[in-house]
Amino acid sequence: MLLPELEYTRPETVEEAVAALAAERNARVLAGGQTLLNALKLRIVHPDVLVDVSRLEELRQVAEEPDGTLRLGAALTYDELAGNALVRQRHPITAAMTSRIVDRQVRARGTLGGNVCLGDPTSNFPPLLVALDARLVARGPAGTREIAAEEFYLAPYMTALEPGELLTEVLLPPLADGEGVGYESLQVGIDSWALARACALVRVEPGSGEGSATIAAARVALGCGPVPVRQPAMEAALIGGLATRAAIAAAAKLAGEAFDPPADVHATAQYRTAMARVMARRAVISAVTTKEA
Amino acid sequence: MSDSAHPIEVVVNGERHESVVLGRQLLVHYLRETLGLKGTHIGCDSGNCGACTVIVDGKAVKSCMQLAAQADGREIETVESLSEPLGPPDRLQASFTRHHALQCGYCTPGMLMSATALLREQEAPGEDEIRRGLKGNICRCTGYVNIVRAVQDVAGTLPENYDGHTA
Amino acid sequence: MSVTRIETWQSPATRPASVGQSIPRKEDGRLLKGQGQFADDVWMHRMGHVHFVRSPYAHAEIVDVDVSKALAVEGVYATLTGEEVRQLTDRYTQIAPEPGGRAKDFAMAVGKVRYQGEPVAAVLAESRELARDAAALVEVEYARLPHVLEAVQAADDESPRIHTEMGSNVGWHGVYDFGDVDWALERADHVVRIPRLHFHRFSSTPLECNAAVVHWDPGTGTIQIDSNNQMPQFAALFMAPALGVRSDQLMFRSQDIGGAFGLKLTSYTYLTALALLSRKAGRPAKWTEYRHEHLIGSCHGNERTFLDIEVPVMADGEILGFKANALDDVGAFMRYEPLGGVIFSQVLPGCYRFKHLQVDYKSVVTNKTPVGPNRGYSRLQHLWLVERIVDLVAAELRFDPVELRKRNYVRPEEFPYTTPNGCVYDSGNYHAMLDRALELVDAPRWRAAQQAAEGTGKRIGIGIGSTLDSGTSNFGQARIINKNLPFSGNGEAAICKIDLQGEISVALGTVPQGQSHETTTAQVVADVLGVTPGEVLVRPGADSARNAYVAFSGTYASQFAVTGIGAALGAAERVKADLLTVAAAVLESTPDELLLVGGTVSVEGDEDRALTFAEIANYVYANQGALPPEVADAVTLNHRHVYRAPFGVPDWKSKSGSLTLTYASQIHVCVVEIDEETGQTRILDYSAVDECGTPINPQVVEGQVHGAAAHGIAAALQETLDYDEDGQLLNGTFWDYHVVSCPDTPMFKTDNLPCPSPFTPTGSKGMGEGGGAPLHAVCSALQDALRDTGAVVTDSHNPTERVWRLLNGDERAADGGRGITVTSR
Repeated sequence: MLLPELEYTRPETVEEAVAALAAERNARVLAGGQTLLNALKLRIVHPDVLVDVSRLEELRQVAEEPDGTLRLGAALTYDELAGNALVRQRHPITAAMTSRIVDRQVRARGTLGGNVCLGDPTSNFPPLLVALDARLVARGPAGTREIAAEEFYLAPYMTALEPGELLTEVLLPPLADGEGVGYESLQVGIDSWALARACALVRVEPGSGEGSATIAAARVALGCGPVPVRQPAMEAALIGGLATRAAIAAAAKLAGEAFDPPADVHATAQYRTAMARVMARRAVISAVTTKEA
Repeated sequence: MSDSAHPIEVVVNGERHESVVLGRQLLVHYLRETLGLKGTHIGCDSGNCGACTVIVDGKAVKSCMQLAAQADGREIETVESLSEPLGPPDRLQASFTRHHALQCGYCTPGMLMSATALLREQEAPGEDEIRRGLKGNICRCTGYVNIVRAVQDVAGTLPENYDGHTA
Repeated sequence: MSVTRIETWQSPATRPASVGQSIPRKEDGRLLKGQGQFADDVWMHRMGHVHFVRSPYAHAEIVDVDVSKALAVEGVYATLTGEEVRQLTDRYTQIAPEPGGRAKDFAMAVGKVRYQGEPVAAVLAESRELARDAAALVEVEYARLPHVLEAVQAADDESPRIHTEMGSNVGWHGVYDFGDVDWALERADHVVRIPRLHFHRFSSTPLECNAAVVHWDPGTGTIQIDSNNQMPQFAALFMAPALGVRSDQLMFRSQDIGGAFGLKLTSYTYLTALALLSRKAGRPAKWTEYRHEHLIGSCHGNERTFLDIEVPVMADGEILGFKANALDDVGAFMRYEPLGGVIFSQVLPGCYRFKHLQVDYKSVVTNKTPVGPNRGYSRLQHLWLVERIVDLVAAELRFDPVELRKRNYVRPEEFPYTTPNGCVYDSGNYHAMLDRALELVDAPRWRAAQQAAEGTGKRIGIGIGSTLDSGTSNFGQARIINKNLPFSGNGEAAICKIDLQGEISVALGTVPQGQSHETTTAQVVADVLGVTPGEVLVRPGADSARNAYVAFSGTYASQFAVTGIGAALGAAERVKADLLTVAAAVLESTPDELLLVGGTVSVEGDEDRALTFAEIANYVYANQGALPPEVADAVTLNHRHVYRAPFGVPDWKSKSGSLTLTYASQIHVCVVEIDEETGQTRILDYSAVDECGTPINPQVVEGQVHGAAAHGIAAALQETLDYDEDGQLLNGTFWDYHVVSCPDTPMFKTDNLPCPSPFTPTGSKGMGEGGGAPLHAVCSALQDALRDTGAVVTDSHNPTERVWRLLNGDERAADGGRGITVTSR
């Protein structure tokens, strides 16, 4: 399929990129292009200008802050992210999830920033970023600002980025002692189209005996609804409770709050909601077990 | 709205090309139509099927999901690079024949490029790694069985008791 | 009922040397190096590119089409509208008799659109980009009409009419009635009644979409068609009368085709439009379908709903037959239909000895994409019904599904077996195949695992699919759906030639799309001429000017191993006779004293008296004066041979007769694991045991088995073509149409138990399509996994959500399955 007429530009610096985005009302950031080019072929987006940021070195770094926060450049490809030693060490579940996104060709081109900014409800990163309380760094004509992942997603394919703003980095806070992450998805086939996703960040406090460990903190986010959503009721039920399968299963019954998934050719909303509960439970159990392991 | 024109310089199969491409031109069309490298195929237009897979700077990518302008300065390998036009097949191509890993042959160039990249990156991928590694390439003729076997053969990971059949 | 005449093939040769070997394929060299030539690889000087404007609606009147803005764009060569098509062509001939045959079918929508995606106008421009951009400027005004999307509803007289000329939406109706099913239902110990079963719409989606370059040469009148149409002469039968041209003006050519599976058979509508555009613009017109267009605008496999199924069963497990109403949803146009309305009857009782059968069959038009023959065409739908019947009888009456099948399978000693409708199953051993398939997966091990899985949240199920792949159709069966069609028998043509310096070549009428014809033909011809397959050049692809053909030449309906090979074999035998005639004259010997070995003809026992093929060729081409005149006049070294399948004309009144020559069989066993919480289904083990007579190249046969198995599994679990209430296709890209990928498919365990066909030249049977065994095996395994839930698998498509609903007792998933009743005497 063919693209519509468009102008392509490849700025040399982030400043130039921001300027290019600000200069043209209908400009769009092109990074890996693994979704944007499809959207263009289908003519469901209509930019006049594509601003290619995929080669900006500034957007391709992984750095660790003194407090352990990882600064991930938005133009890092999935491959680079999954293979990065720091990411693998500090956030092994994130690295593992990234290493399984779509397929090797897409992982070679697709970028973290592209995944984050597209706002595709089925994307891998949004629920993870919300659960991990990531912050997104945007640079625009007015300067740089940080946006909490939880506030970033407004509606399907709509984010809090203002026109002219470029996502430059994703900040992943460090995992504290006792914290574990679980990420579960239900997909068509082995790992095709996602129907429901859940990511959990859980802090476990060891108890005095077998089965007495408790959950001290929990953040659970669901994906595949219009936007990724936290699950406060489920989190509240988890916190202070035992880190056992039974207790987690009981709490997971409360998952699905504000999830509001679509009904489409892939699944009904009812099924997606039921599956989100299953994924939420499995994600918490997996977060607890990876911690134990 | 208009198409912008971009001078690009690429090395394709070891040969340097300087071209001017339009902003909207996809890499796959540049390869097939501008350079006449028709071994790279188009099967889905949406980045799912992998028939257009080529290797760019060592990585297998789908050339229908990349602008030609984005390939500027890159080194590209297509199926035509695997062996000489009139020469013997390379190891992987020979293995594909031995295992009957192609029928209509339409997915084959993309499949070969994906597998080539996989075999360069991994020492001895086993069945599961190969299946995951080839996930981005759809084949509608073979049911994938013989493709996996052909790649395993080159990787040296065929099951010990393998007798040419799947039983 | 007509008496079926059986001619057995008299084999002229002893067991040959190359046939039966898995030699490497001749096709591979070019395909592996990216040197294949597919339709989109064809470029012609001055050619323009075509983009079609398609209907956004399922059913609407076309009020106005305005192409002026598109025509005004610089670089646009021509446009074409449905109204122009109506003026420039005659409506296509229909296979259907009245009332379906009354439908007015053109290359593009005329007057109204009948499905979303139907072509309404076309633009020819200097580039593809420009054609697409200009097509966006074509203004079409529609007035929407009420639509109907479901066959049972469409068959209702009150439904919106899709073709007013037809009088209703039922394009064809026929009742197949053999034995006395009502008597059987009265006499049976048990009657199992199943209210409704549904076979879903899907497509095997060849990886290469349709593509063509059509050039209507104004000087010669030749219409050169470089395309991937898989049955050119069939296309010509429709195109020539519509365009008002001689059929030999249509010159088809193809080299490599990127899969077809039957779906590239009906592309003649697009080829017609391209021909008109080419004539109008005086330029070659090129069109390469986008995947989205392929999914909405080419064709889909047949969807079929079965209602009111009644099955008489005896206490000992003997199933006497069945009765069912079948409503086949053919989409918006009849086109290839109602051939599906007879083709299913090739396998009317499936693998079973059923004696009393009644199927009331309707071909129904709906506001959906037209159907076309998809791998296993019309038989897999029917065989799915038969296998569901057997499984449901087993479940309801507590028979072991293995024993029940064995009780009812046609027995090995009964072959050739004549079915109640006069079809002759040539050979087979279903019992041994089932045993072997169960052995390959080690069924007892899975039964133990099934027990062990109880209570773990996983369920294991073992299922069986037993199907037939009927091959080499008797075209006389078309008379059963339309008694006026002057077709019968079947044949295929080939040319075998020895060239100037003794080189052997073969040109086939078939149009392969991955089926390895170059290789298997070379094997067969090499054996006849005493050379190696490497010395036989089989011309790749189709070419009306070069190759021999008959009206139904092509690669479809699992027939090449019989028809194509039969033709090549016959042509090679004729060339061999010429070689012997010349050699006998020159060597002063007689043909029966001569041997063909290694490209040489020699006198047996006196090998010094020998001529190479090159020397013989020189006599024939360049040294005729040295031959006795009667020999020189008799030999050509260039022979066209037509293989004729031994068929008579079936009886249209009783709808019976020998409809196909061979019956390859497939017994598949599938082991699934269901995750109870999600309904997610994983295939744990899979065996496919095939029988297709004498395999010419076992590796090629196995490859076809793998491919057919993957298609079936894909359809059973992932692939479906669904419409929303508005008639919009919901799976218009490969994002929504979930083609199976490499990790989704299992390592099939295969075996082949040959039972040579007594009716064919090499003992081989046509194969490749398969009978959709995986659809049955997967459904059967799901049913087994759900055995204590009361859930019934009533649909051929079972994605995770449907499985989950079945597990949770949801009525929506049960789709009437819960209404199964058993009446016992």
